[in-house]
Amino acid sequence: MDVVVRAVDLARRFKMGNAFVDALRGVDLSIERGEFVALVGPSGSGKSTVLNLIGGLDRPTGGEVWIDGVELGATDERTLTRHRREHVGFVFQTFNLLPRLTAVENVALPLMFSGVPRRERLDRARTLLENVGLGQRLTHRPGQLSGGEQQRVAIARALVGHPALLLADEPTGNLDTTTGAEIMALLKNLNQERQLTVLVVTHDPEVASFADRIVTLRDGRVQT
Amino acid sequence: MTRGDLLRTSFGNLGRHPVRTVLSAVGVTVGILTIVTMVSLGVGVQKEILQQFQGAGLETISVRPVTEERSAYTAFAEPKRTVLITPELVEEMQAREDVVEVLPRVYVPWGATVYLQAGDRELNVRVYVGDSTWGLNDPFTEFPRLESGRELVQDSPGEVILSKDALEALGYDEQSDWEDVIGQEVHLLLKAPRGDMASFPLVVAGVRDTTYWGANIGVTDALALKSWWYNDPDILEHEGYDMLRIKAASINDAAQIVGELQEQGFEVESLRLLLDNINRAMVVLQTMLGSIGALALLVASIGIANTMIMVVYERTREIGILKAIGASPGDIRVLFVAESALIGLAGGVAGTILGWLLGLGLNRLILAILRWQEAPVRGTFFVVTGWLVLLALAFATVVGLLSGLYPAARAARLDPIEALRYE
Repeated sequence: MDVVVRAVDLARRFKMGNAFVDALRGVDLSIERGEFVALVGPSGSGKSTVLNLIGGLDRPTGGEVWIDGVELGATDERTLTRHRREHVGFVFQTFNLLPRLTAVENVALPLMFSGVPRRERLDRARTLLENVGLGQRLTHRPGQLSGGEQQRVAIARALVGHPALLLADEPTGNLDTTTGAEIMALLKNLNQERQLTVLVVTHDPEVASFADRIVTLRDGRVQT
Repeated sequence: MTRGDLLRTSFGNLGRHPVRTVLSAVGVTVGILTIVTMVSLGVGVQKEILQQFQGAGLETISVRPVTEERSAYTAFAEPKRTVLITPELVEEMQAREDVVEVLPRVYVPWGATVYLQAGDRELNVRVYVGDSTWGLNDPFTEFPRLESGRELVQDSPGEVILSKDALEALGYDEQSDWEDVIGQEVHLLLKAPRGDMASFPLVVAGVRDTTYWGANIGVTDALALKSWWYNDPDILEHEGYDMLRIKAASINDAAQIVGELQEQGFEVESLRLLLDNINRAMVVLQTMLGSIGALALLVASIGIANTMIMVVYERTREIGILKAIGASPGDIRVLFVAESALIGLAGGVAGTILGWLLGLGLNRLILAILRWQEAPVRGTFFVVTGWLVLLALAFATVVGLLSGLYPAARAARLDPIEALRYE
């Protein structure tokens, strides 16, 4: 059993003005390498918060989150950054590409912060874009790409650092049903061919159906 | 991030908003322009003056006797001398190893009217005591040359050099007469207001090309004139010399001798002292004007910081994305500081070029004015050296860099989730 992600009693409390909001109230979660897990739940259930904590974009206020043997809550900023760079890849609902860079430059960008020289990182980016079917769109800017194409670029970018874990937050939220299905098929493909562990947050049961396992979240807790 | 990536990214970001970049850099341009022009002026003028002075002789010292302070009772009287240039001092100086030449001077008494008499003609003349080294007083004019004859040698008692114009007024107006007049006897007449008169016979030793009626005599004869005028046969003992010119072996020797003489109470002048004073004045001037440039840079710095804060604000979402894909807070900070430093550098380049051009223009203007005023001064007053350029560029870059520190820190501190939610 190779556990990639382990959340133990994970909690996150936010301060909103004078009041506190508990987005997560003790989440226990375990994901094995190569699994395709969907995290579902109504709006406000804390799904995105779980994703952010696993991805190192946020720190828990209670409990622990272990990624590949490292407890993220106790690490310093530098280790957290390295974690974001090397262990996870993020895919967002709004794609979050840099609008003034081309597709290939967007995909290569994470490698720039890892210190990879320009030519090499552009080569790697090109390869990945071809893998996701965008070999003809290398020099296009996001504004010249369709929603589905932009999301493919985002997926390629998420993969460029060879992460163990792909985290997708409502990846089909801004896409029509057909395109959405294409994207999910792509993710499924990547999961199966590369042993890529995938965690998708979604409120759409059709999207969730692509997963091997569905975890339901409600009011900050996992529903069993 | 490699340095190349950093530069490429920063240039790219600045290039996307060229107008904003230029406007932010303008403040730095003005500051650097002012500083470069001022410093180049200082460098140029100092170089010119040093050159001129070196030609004139920085090893030369002028010593004057010290006179009593004038009071209400002595306001119009001849002041009494408290420190004298004695013949003993002159001998002492002559004996020194670090002294090349010693020339004591005596002035014809102020108010004394001197006439030149030749044959049956009389002419009111100006009497000069001394020789061609007199020109050291004014390094910018050439001493008038001789038409014929020879210069006075150190003292040359009994000899006189007359100006061409004076001889012409006396009736000698043929070119050939300039040779014939050598060896002729003339008289210098000193007429006192009380009515008596003294006559001093002199032999013409040379003719000088000057446009006024002048006579050049030696120290001994000048002393004789002075002695009669003040009715004091021991005038040298009582008054000492009127001035002493010393040429030292080197500039350092001159500085030392100046110190010694000042200790003895003399008033000492040397071109070196003058040069030092001028340098000091230049430094003050440069500091004042340079401060204006510094002030401009301060204001520019605030402008750049303000621009960068807005830039960070505008790129909030982008910063969130960068952090999500693996940029560390340090990476973010470096990116913004680099952009800000580049704005400074851009301003510095423009300012240095404009400062150089302004120096060229002002130089031309000053030379034109000098030519119009018929001053014999020429030269380059604005000099931009290599190190000035480097210093200016470095300074400009640092100003930009420092301006960006606060905005960059703010960018680095942004929470990625909040930033991604932006817009």
